[in-house]
Amino acid sequence: MTFLDESEDFHERVRRFARGESAESFDALALEIARFQARHSPGFARLVQARGSRLERLEDVPGVPCDTFRLARVALHPPELDEVRFTTSGTTGAPGVHSMRTTRTYRELSLRSGAHALKAWSGSAVVAALARPPGRPATSSLGFMMRAMFEEFDGRGSERWLVHEHGVDVLGLEAAVRTARERGEPLLVLATAFALVALLDSLGGRSLNAPLGSTLMQTGGFKGKTREVAPEALCASVASAFGIARSRVIGEYGMTELTSQLYESSEAPGIYREPRWLRVIPVDPATLDPVSAGEIGIARIVDLGNVDSAVVVVAEDLVRRRGAGIELCGRRSGAPPRGCSLALESLLVGA
Amino acid sequence: MDAQVRVRRLIDAARQIADPETPLGKLARERLPDSTGLSPAGVDFALRQSLEADATDAEIEALCQAATPVGHAHVLLSANVFVAALRAIAIALAAAPRVSVRSSRREGVMAELLQSGSDAFDRVEALEPRPGDHVWAYGSDQTIESLRQSLPPGVVVHGHGTGFGVAVVELDGAAELEPIAAALARDVALFDQRGCLSPRICIVLAERARARRFAEETARALGELELSIPRGRLSAEEAADERRFRDAAAFAFELFAAGQGAVSFDAGGERWIVPPAGRNLHLARADVRDLARLGQLEPSIVALGVSAACPVRDELRALLRYARVSALGSMQRPRLDGPVDRRCGALPRDW
Repeated sequence: MTFLDESEDFHERVRRFARGESAESFDALALEIARFQARHSPGFARLVQARGSRLERLEDVPGVPCDTFRLARVALHPPELDEVRFTTSGTTGAPGVHSMRTTRTYRELSLRSGAHALKAWSGSAVVAALARPPGRPATSSLGFMMRAMFEEFDGRGSERWLVHEHGVDVLGLEAAVRTARERGEPLLVLATAFALVALLDSLGGRSLNAPLGSTLMQTGGFKGKTREVAPEALCASVASAFGIARSRVIGEYGMTELTSQLYESSEAPGIYREPRWLRVIPVDPATLDPVSAGEIGIARIVDLGNVDSAVVVVAEDLVRRRGAGIELCGRRSGAPPRGCSLALESLLVGA
Repeated sequence: MDAQVRVRRLIDAARQIADPETPLGKLARERLPDSTGLSPAGVDFALRQSLEADATDAEIEALCQAATPVGHAHVLLSANVFVAALRAIAIALAAAPRVSVRSSRREGVMAELLQSGSDAFDRVEALEPRPGDHVWAYGSDQTIESLRQSLPPGVVVHGHGTGFGVAVVELDGAAELEPIAAALARDVALFDQRGCLSPRICIVLAERARARRFAEETARALGELELSIPRGRLSAEEAADERRFRDAAAFAFELFAAGQGAVSFDAGGERWIVPPAGRNLHLARADVRDLARLGQLEPSIVALGVSAACPVRDELRALLRYARVSALGSMQRPRLDGPVDRRCGALPRDW
């Protein structure tokens, strides 16, 4: 079997697993993908060797630190086979790049988890994004996902990108609300946190009065682009501004280095649920051993969707297991905030 | 008491501390491992190598003549390099008859020993400068900035913040690798690499195979040095940063074990990264024309260790105007001629 055949086969198996059409176990599939990656990625093979892993159990698979995407190409295939190159949004130093040979798996997985968490389905809502348009091809994984949601959940050919160089397009958002009311459909707003703060500032206390059943997906941090607002306060303010229940403001956790996303539970605010094809394990930041139940660790993330890059990544985000979900507890202290670091990330000079 | 007498009393105390046979020298070796985190041998190594106890009369005279007399000088010490207390306090004593010193919370032993041996300054819990006083502050950029903001107008702050060292090694065909690597290893190992003079990056001007051999040799030299001067303990944050660096570097580059530390080697020289402290070095092969890239790091480079022919040395001096330039193996023992950090001058509080 050629590399491409093998890769395609893994993608198909992951998609089947995500649909619930496969009897394979998560661990076995992840381990197989890790072995595939060790065969085709010299960098990952070096990491496996440096950690003395024999790749016999999923727990033995070394996680690739997210920093690695800034230092080296984390992809099994050659650059000429890249369909997209998603770049991280850091403002200093070299950006990280997640190259994908195919976006088919990314699209299917992100729509599947988005549909479940946001209670959206094909052609069911008027969709608006409080974000800048991502360009074609998209270099932002978030932008790519939002565009896929436009196509799937709205499906009428229009893309409402409502952040421009002068700020949030409040008139455009109000027009989207009117359209949703006229169609008798809920509004689905996809927004970054800093755009929401800018929106709240622009609204000055006015309510948008979104239709019943409307949902807002909130993602990302502030990255110094606007004033910072405590997450819970932001959710409450945004819910009030749209005239929707707090439980309809759903947090999304994703990163360029992943293919999959976690969404906040509408029943348990602050708790993020993993889709069946992704697992988060809180680990000790120095030893990378799992921490005790209920303790905070950094996120070791097994993402079956990362077939052609790194099936296990280690992020600097602090997480804690809470029942069937994960609580996000900020960034590791000592670790610089993403995009504004003074350590490993920004003191990096590219050729 | 004139300035030179004040400084000499301090240097006399330093001589006692450097001498393992004196009561102060014994006390230093007993208490400093605990307060610094260095191994006992690491403390002794630092006292013998980097404490300016052998400052000459001419150096003391020059230091005092260069000082601008002030009435009251204040010193905020950093915890990272314990011997730096001597130079910091000497600079203040050269300028003022009254000197108040506040140690860091983590390491207060060295100032205590110097005070006990010299009775030349006061140790205080909090700095309370008045307008017209001068403050010499050592620590992170954030610490210095928050200090600057907290002081009344009219106080002059001499801030010495975050920085690190860079080594540049030119290997012509005749150069013996072993002594150069051994000298570099000494510079790296001192203070377990926590100082602003400690080299974190080494740029190697050589063809690939020879540069790689030098990386191996440096790793071997660090490992060998560790047998006689063990690495001390790392904080939890340092240990986490080290794990993150090693895993990312193992993937992105070639990684050589160097005792408890590591040497990453980038044969392509495309990425120059700054590894965390703890005897970790990033070694990048480069051509002479690549040296200009160091200019991007200039604001952070305090020291430059060079093993190269004159043209390269001259180019580096011109490129990094504020860095202290020295031979490899001597990066951590600059003459007592003012602050080791030459990157900034005195700025008034309200600058």
